[in-house]
Amino acid sequence: MTLLNASLLGGALALDATTVGQFMISRPLVAGLLSGWLAGDPVSGFLVGVVLEIYLLVAFPVGGARFPEGATATVVAATTVVAHPGPGAFALGVGFGLMWGQLGGWTINAMRTLNGWVAPDPAAPLLPPARVVCGHLLAVLLDFVRGVLVTGTGVWVAGLVVARFSGNWPLGEEDTVGLFLVGAAVSVGILLRSFGGLARRRVIFLGGLIVGVAGGIFL
Amino acid sequence: MTEISLSTRLSTFLRSFIIQGSWNYRTMIGGGFAFAILPVLRELFEGPRLDEAVRRHAEHFNAHPYLAGLALGATARLEADGAEPELMLRFKSAIKGPLGGMGDALMWAAWLPTTVLIGLVAHFAGASPWMCVLLFLIPYNAGHVALRLWGFGTGLRWGHDVGRVLRGAALGNLAELVSRGGVVLLGMLAGFLCVAGARGGPIELLWTTLMAVAFTAGLILGERAWRPAALLAVGTVVCVLMVAAR
Repeated sequence: MTLLNASLLGGALALDATTVGQFMISRPLVAGLLSGWLAGDPVSGFLVGVVLEIYLLVAFPVGGARFPEGATATVVAATTVVAHPGPGAFALGVGFGLMWGQLGGWTINAMRTLNGWVAPDPAAPLLPPARVVCGHLLAVLLDFVRGVLVTGTGVWVAGLVVARFSGNWPLGEEDTVGLFLVGAAVSVGILLRSFGGLARRRVIFLGGLIVGVAGGIFL
Repeated sequence: MTEISLSTRLSTFLRSFIIQGSWNYRTMIGGGFAFAILPVLRELFEGPRLDEAVRRHAEHFNAHPYLAGLALGATARLEADGAEPELMLRFKSAIKGPLGGMGDALMWAAWLPTTVLIGLVAHFAGASPWMCVLLFLIPYNAGHVALRLWGFGTGLRWGHDVGRVLRGAALGNLAELVSRGGVVLLGMLAGFLCVAGARGGPIELLWTTLMAVAFTAGLILGERAWRPAALLAVGTVVCVLMVAAR
């Protein structure tokens, strides 16, 4: 039941990422909470979403670029982590999710190639409206099926990997989170660069940093 | 000049939400553009003229999905005004580049990361998960839907002259302003992460130091920083598997 629920959620969120609406319920922050809620532990799912969100802060669905698919990756990671508590499962689940996100990105590109056959051909002398509507809606359906398959396969494989290896994870819970935050800090640096760089933004960045440090100490 | 009915305008606007449905490397969002403008074409044409109109709008087109509505509205206006197909083709060719560039700069590079950062900072400040998600989704989609509405309405109103309005809208300045807010939030997130790592004993301080190194690598190397980071991650997984195999 969990596998089916997670797969359907993955399919729905995969649609939001590029095909339908782009309301950003496919971002890891939201996807993690929804997956955790479906699997019975929204807080753990959300924490997975937070870590993945920081990693994928700089991954946006720009044009034809290949980008890691955050939605399916987060559903896979959060569902796995909720099903297998403990730092080892967290580490392997999130790590697996990041890797699966790359695979998800590859399937998006493959589907876009396939869409070249599904979408209406403008070289045809006349194009009946029914052909446009059917081709377009079929492509939307294909994206949903792709999301379901990527998520379902990911949850199944991640479950096997985590069940087999999570007991051997050498770090405790806090150090595991520390390890992942080190990786996440790379994204924070990249995003600051994308926002204009430290040289140009140092005053407001340092202002925010001071507020953040104070908030971290006193809140 | 033919007036487009309210129901047709509404239908076209709603269809613009799935304009990327058949995104492909041949026509990009051309198929989606034809799908979205179909209600307008059905109102204006019948028979072979309708098929011909649909065909010319299924040709290659690309734009930022939120701003594609501007081209959609303007093209609908041109169709209703009985403009020559050649003029519409030239108009769409001219406008797709600016719509893509402006949309990417404003929404993907500024608005999305900034609103995501609101949710992340709220989490580290102690807000509940549902509250964090709402603090991200509500402002993000307020901006998103407002931009779509503005784009479609402006396109419908101004038709071929929409480029002038686009220049006056100063979306670049808006992106710059949003980016500044994003930098403040990014600083706050970095501050929360530092404190989260530095609390407690020497191990945590080690993580803070490593975080500072990782942050600097990201800042200097940009996207290229992921290569060594990915190698490190793969190395960690390999170590765990080796330990597990013992």
